[in-house]
This record gives sequence, C-alpha cells and structure tokens, in this order.
Amino acid sequence: MSLSVADADDDDAALARRIIDCAPERDRYAEAEICRRLGPRIRLYGLRHLRNEAAAADLMQDVLVMMLQKLRDGAVREPERLASFVLGTARQMVIDGRRSGKRRVRILEAFPVDLIPPDEEAPEPFDTARLGSCLGALPERERAVLVMTFYDDRTADAVAAELGLSAGNVRVIRHRGLERLRGCMDASGGTT
Amino acid sequence: MTRASCTTSPQDLLGYWLGELDAAHESRLDEHLLACSACSERLRTIVDLGAAIRRELLRGSFGFVLPAPFVRRIKDAGLSVREYSLEPGGSVSCTVTPEDDLVVAYLHAPLRDVRRLDLVIHDATAGTIRVSDVAFDPEADSVTMVPSVAYLRTLGHNQQRAQLVAVEGVNERVIADYTFNHSPS
Repeated sequence: MSLSVADADDDDAALARRIIDCAPERDRYAEAEICRRLGPRIRLYGLRHLRNEAAAADLMQDVLVMMLQKLRDGAVREPERLASFVLGTARQMVIDGRRSGKRRVRILEAFPVDLIPPDEEAPEPFDTARLGSCLGALPERERAVLVMTFYDDRTADAVAAELGLSAGNVRVIRHRGLERLRGCMDASGGTT
Repeated sequence: MTRASCTTSPQDLLGYWLGELDAAHESRLDEHLLACSACSERLRTIVDLGAAIRRELLRGSFGFVLPAPFVRRIKDAGLSVREYSLEPGGSVSCTVTPEDDLVVAYLHAPLRDVRRLDLVIHDATAGTIRVSDVAFDPEADSVTMVPSVAYLRTLGHNQQRAQLVAVEGVNERVIADYTFNHSPS
C-alpha cells in the first residue's frame, strides 16, 4: 500500500482497514488521521467518567496506543465496529486502574506517540465578555439553574432539592436557559 | 455515521454529561459518542459552555440570586466569600477587597406564603433594576443575593436599596427592604 495522505472523507472503519492492510508496515497518514478523529472523542469519554482533564488526556493516549497496536496486529476483526472496541478498551482501563505510571511508561516506550494529538491548552471557545452579558440578560431563574448546574455539574435532582422545585421543572428551566443563552451568543457572534 | 448531523437531543447529551441517565441509556451513548463525531462535537460544545459559565461565575461577571446551600458549596471549595446578613429594614456598611472572590448578602424575610418573588434594586449609580422571579427556597426564610463583584470593584462610595417584592397575579407587596452603603476598600 502506498503511503498516500489519508483521504479526508475516509470514515473511521476505512482508516482502520488501511492500517490493518498495511501491517506490518505503518500507514502513518491513516494512523494520524484516525488518532486526530478519535482522540477528542476518547478524551471526552475520559472527562465524563474520570472528571479530570489530566486523567482524561492520559486515558486518550493509552487507548489510542492500544488501538493502533491491535489494528497493526490484526486483532480488530470488525473495523466497522471500531467504536465498540475503543469503548471496551477505555472502559476496561477506567475500571481496572491499569493505567499506573509504570505501565504508561512501558506502553509509550514501546509505541511511537508521534500520532497522538498534542495535549494543548484549548483557546477560549467563547467571547467571555459577551457570555457574561448574555448570562446577565437571562431571566433570573434560568440563570440560577444554569449556574447551579454547571458550577460543579449537578444533576437536576440535586438542583431541584436546593430550589424546592421538581426535577422535571429544573430540566425544563435548564433547557430553556441553555437555548436562550446559545441564541444570545449566536446572535452576537459570541462563539468562536 | 461520522459525517451525519447529530441526532441526539441536547437534553440527552446534557443528561449524559451530568450522570442523569439510566445505565443502559448511558452505555448506548458512550458507544455512540465514540462513533459519531457530530454528537461528540455537540456534547463538547455543551461541556465548554458549562465550563465558560463556571469561569464567568468565578470572575464575578454577573450577579445572581441563589439558595444559601450553593454559597456553602463555593466556600467549601476554598473560595473567599465576603458575607453580609441583613434583617428586614436593616442596613450595612459594605465593601469588596482584592482578596474576595464573591460578595454575598443574605436577605432575611418571611417567605413561607410567597409563590413568586422579585428583587428590586435601587442603585445610586446604575439606577433601578428589577430582577423578576428569583430562585428561593420558601422554607429557608432568606434570599441569597450575589452581586457582580466586577461591578462592585468599579464603585466608589455608593448606596443601594434592595426590596423583596411578593407577586400574586397583578398584586404585589413589599416584604422587606435593605440598605447597602458601599465604600471602596
């Protein structure tokens, strides 16, 4: 297989097949592309389940390295079900806590990490001045529910208990507030 | 799948993020989000917006009214909170220092029979502001006002009167009023 630049329209399964077919050689472009696509999704999974940016970044690296290893070894039998494989790997790594320091060093020494998306500080995705203004313009109850929700990621049940409302009512207020906030931000070009 | 538009509702995505879904639904979304870049990006936007709200809150960019337990959580997290407690008709000399992250005023008032509550602020500098339908716990008999610290830092000497107003249909009555005499630190 020639080492051409991965087609931007390739989907995850097609990229996975390219890596499998190229083994034992490396299709560096397919590997880079699949890492670029899946890395942020794995990091988000990690953030959801670990609630820690650094731990989520570590998980992303470990899962990507494991995925590339299994693809090169031909151990992923159904590339079209790559997400299932990635989920199983990520879930196991979270559950059994095998991402100890020593193990991470061993993995990262054994496999090149030039393909892993860099752990960069993301730019501010919103115009903060505009966001403050849009928050200030929200109806008070919506502002309160959004603040109580996002300050420490509280469920509707928990917010409802503090406000003396039903959880269903909090969900309605929360949804309405988010829509109004996004509308305000979009109207003013406040998203970057 | 990866190039389709996201078919998962924002409510489900936020519910997933906050851990509100049952285990089976959460597991399905776990897998879908790893397969679908559109839904993953939509969730990322929600998560980023939540983080931005948190940052703006901690910058004191806007004021709000919340139940007292929320302020306790902020204090427990190690933030410096300057607190004032006022009975109906009370007044207080107040300020904000560079060390303060937030300034909080507990406005005590009988609220058990109140269904809707508005907060009216007469500010000598900014004019009159009416905050409609504030969040409060009727059993708590107090409202927790958190003014914008960013605004307070711009003030010289300033007086602010706050009124709690119970609203019943077209009728309303002032339950209590409070006076804040602000001076710069």
